[in-house]
Amino acid sequence: MLVGLVAVSVATLVASGTTAGAAAPKKLKDIRIAAVVKGLDNPFFIGIKEGIEETALKYGVTANVQAAPGLNDDIGQANKLDSLAGQNYDCYIVIPISSNNLSQGIGKITKKGKAVINIDSPVDAASLKAAGGKITSFAGTDNRAAGEAGGKSMIKLIGSGKKIGLIAGLAGNVTSNARIDGFKAGAAGSTFVGPVNADWDTTKALDAANAMLVANPDIAGFFAANDQMAQGIARAVAAAKKNIPVYGVDGIADALKEVKAGAMAATISQYPYVMGKMGVEACIIAAQGGKVPAQTITPYYVIDKSNIDKALTNTSTRGYFPNQSPPGAYVDPYTKLIKKN
Amino acid sequence: MIQKNDFAIECIDIKKSFGSVEALRGVSIQARPGEVTAIIGDNGAGKSTLIKCISGVYASDEGQIKIDGEIVHFSTPEESRTFGIETVYQTLGLIEDLSIWQNLFLNREITKGFGPFRILNKAKMKEEAVKMLKNLDVYIPSIKSRTRGLSGGQRQAVAICRAAGWGSRVVIMDEPTAALGVRETAKVEDLIQRMKSQGLAILLISHNFDQVLRLADHIWVMRQGNVMAGMRAKDTTGDELVALITGASAGRK
Amino acid sequence: MSNGNIRSTASAKAEAVGQTRLTRIKEKIKDPFFWSDWLVVVAFIAVVAFFGALAPESFLTLYNLNNILVAASIPAIIAVGQTFTVATAGIDLSVSSTMTFGAVIFGLAFTNGWPIWECALFSTIAGLLVGLVNGFIIAKRKINDFIVTLGMLSVASGAALVLSNGRPRQIISAPLATLAIGEVANVPYLMFIALAIVLIAHFTLFNTRFGTHVLATGGDPEAARAMGISIVKIKIAVYAISGALAGFAAMLTISRIGAAEPAANTAILLNSVAAVVLGGVSLFGGRGTILGPFVATLLLQSLTNGLTVIGVAAYYQYLSIGIVVILSAALVRTDK
Repeated sequence: MLVGLVAVSVATLVASGTTAGAAAPKKLKDIRIAAVVKGLDNPFFIGIKEGIEETALKYGVTANVQAAPGLNDDIGQANKLDSLAGQNYDCYIVIPISSNNLSQGIGKITKKGKAVINIDSPVDAASLKAAGGKITSFAGTDNRAAGEAGGKSMIKLIGSGKKIGLIAGLAGNVTSNARIDGFKAGAAGSTFVGPVNADWDTTKALDAANAMLVANPDIAGFFAANDQMAQGIARAVAAAKKNIPVYGVDGIADALKEVKAGAMAATISQYPYVMGKMGVEACIIAAQGGKVPAQTITPYYVIDKSNIDKALTNTSTRGYFPNQSPPGAYVDPYTKLIKKN
Repeated sequence: MIQKNDFAIECIDIKKSFGSVEALRGVSIQARPGEVTAIIGDNGAGKSTLIKCISGVYASDEGQIKIDGEIVHFSTPEESRTFGIETVYQTLGLIEDLSIWQNLFLNREITKGFGPFRILNKAKMKEEAVKMLKNLDVYIPSIKSRTRGLSGGQRQAVAICRAAGWGSRVVIMDEPTAALGVRETAKVEDLIQRMKSQGLAILLISHNFDQVLRLADHIWVMRQGNVMAGMRAKDTTGDELVALITGASAGRK
Repeated sequence: MSNGNIRSTASAKAEAVGQTRLTRIKEKIKDPFFWSDWLVVVAFIAVVAFFGALAPESFLTLYNLNNILVAASIPAIIAVGQTFTVATAGIDLSVSSTMTFGAVIFGLAFTNGWPIWECALFSTIAGLLVGLVNGFIIAKRKINDFIVTLGMLSVASGAALVLSNGRPRQIISAPLATLAIGEVANVPYLMFIALAIVLIAHFTLFNTRFGTHVLATGGDPEAARAMGISIVKIKIAVYAISGALAGFAAMLTISRIGAAEPAANTAILLNSVAAVVLGGVSLFGGRGTILGPFVATLLLQSLTNGLTVIGVAAYYQYLSIGIVVILSAALVRTDK
């Protein structure tokens, strides 16, 4: 069944859109953008980096993409943003590791009158306000909606009232919580085991799934908050010789292979490339003094057996992620606001 | 007649066993101040065990120790130090990366200030360190340099000065020149001679009979946990000592 | 006895003095231990000069130097604690978890209405307790420090997750915010705190009996014991210091990132060990300074910052930092 969910762009063009820079719109070739993503040891963020760099190239702007030294080094990431904040970039793209850790750096950037575009993981509003920071625009996946889509899809597969195992990411992580909560809403009526935290790690998820299967032999399905964990679960399920659907989130190339092979039932694919692209575009608009849409929801897509082939033709020639647009249409509200000069 | 308070230290009938092994079977020795008293014997004779009972590392099972005629009790090396007994260890007990004056004052640092705000009085310690070395005529170019850079003989000299500087009655030396070359051995032996003038009783363990005959005023021979003989050094010869140690001779006291 | 003779004697003497001074300098340069103390300073100056030359308008700005000092504050405090344990030939692998544990305690106290400074006291005491447990097991039970602190890394980390239910606690506090971004003469408040700790630690190590005993314990525990130093007490004390400093540093971390995060941060641990090695502290114990690791921390942060500023991709940054650490460790001969 084709569960094609097209991204809906909620463009509230009014109050929250901020203008940055009052003079004549800066020439594209003079625009300098800095980006701080989470660790580059995760293919998802490599996808974002590619999206940023290639879009920058396309428009002729400069982009400096930096990453935290590791996926859990929140202080290190804050240091990175601070280092870049003093370098007179025209606009900054941020993905905070925890929802708070970049707020102070953003505050410093806002004081300098530069725009900050937040993509993927949202910055916490309260700490942002306390630090005097402003986010010009947010572009990210509605993780809750993505989880919900997964939940609905799972119900269609296994029926309602069944037991489903839930494996979450780093404890307390906002993205993980949203996906899990969304999934539970979409699969309402089922009994849930967990969620158990596996820190986004494949091996930890494998161990967790094994334990769950031993304690609950009647589990009918698994949902993991990301693909790397889903892969671990798929191994556990295969070892236990069970035929249980395993769902992941992200849509990394390895996961697509698993879906094709049948080891995973589905993945709710994100499009980090598109996020990076939108981040750059929003930055350009801001640097040119235009009004930036306050919030954009980036596309996600449930990829299962029904559309796996289409998805596979989109795979990137480098890195782990599909670097093209999703199989269906989506709206990018930023493109038309960019002044070509 | 031998006056009891002629002796800096007296061991009376010391017994020590480890399980079923009798290391000391009733050992009695004496040492006079200002004299070198050697303790010799083969391996396993009990010399080390006796020394450790004197320096407080072991507590003897039976027997008494008297310092200046007074019976004393101690069960730790720190307690034995309070009675003026110091040891120069075979491994010397010097910390390589600390300076000479720091080593001389290790765990006896001079401080100024009061209460919990005591800080090191480095100037005073350096001053005293120079004096400690001068007392025994030991020449070290700079007491500020690290101990690491000293030769074997110099280190031995520093360790000896430390013991002599703090010890007030007895200084125990276990094979002090075993690891040294000829020239440095001669220097250390000179140093030991100079210590006699400080009024210390020096207990010397050595396997080197020539050294013992050179340095010692009195010799105790031990074998299998017993004292076989005790005599003035000038009254004996190397051959007799060998015979006593190996048991070829019955012993004399 | 003419003037000419006296003059020549004087000049001969001056020449002799000059010669000895020169030979002393030459000797110092040949002495590897001289370099283990000073290499880090030379390297730091080199790094600053390098980036200063490459990107003077970005790297050498007051704002950027301020950034470096902010970034170096927390690692500097942790490195001080690590110096004490390494000086006794030990190591504390639990520092980052202890800091996290302290942060969670801070968060709990804060949300229960305690004022900031009391919360900091609690987190410091929490760290101190962790350190005491480490020290006790290592010194009295004589279990290897690597294993004990590695185990404590998990225990403290787990305790942090349990106490916080895995969720970060937001700490929004005006004084903490001021602490994080305030400065005097372009030196951030955070760095003043770090400097105070560095100076107290330096003084303790080199001007108190305790400090001498720490170095003795690390240099030759047998000799130290023979002189009557309680190795057990010293070892317990240094781990307690390391733990307490980690617990105290939790407050600075919270001020930086605005929340008490229970998630582990291994970069803190690795940076502390790198700083200690780079700073010339011997891993075999008995030899080291406080200023060395402090300058090493500045060096590492300048390196990271500089590479970011000139736009080097993150991958090359890990490589560069790793190379610097290995090179410095190789050049600094601290083998016994």
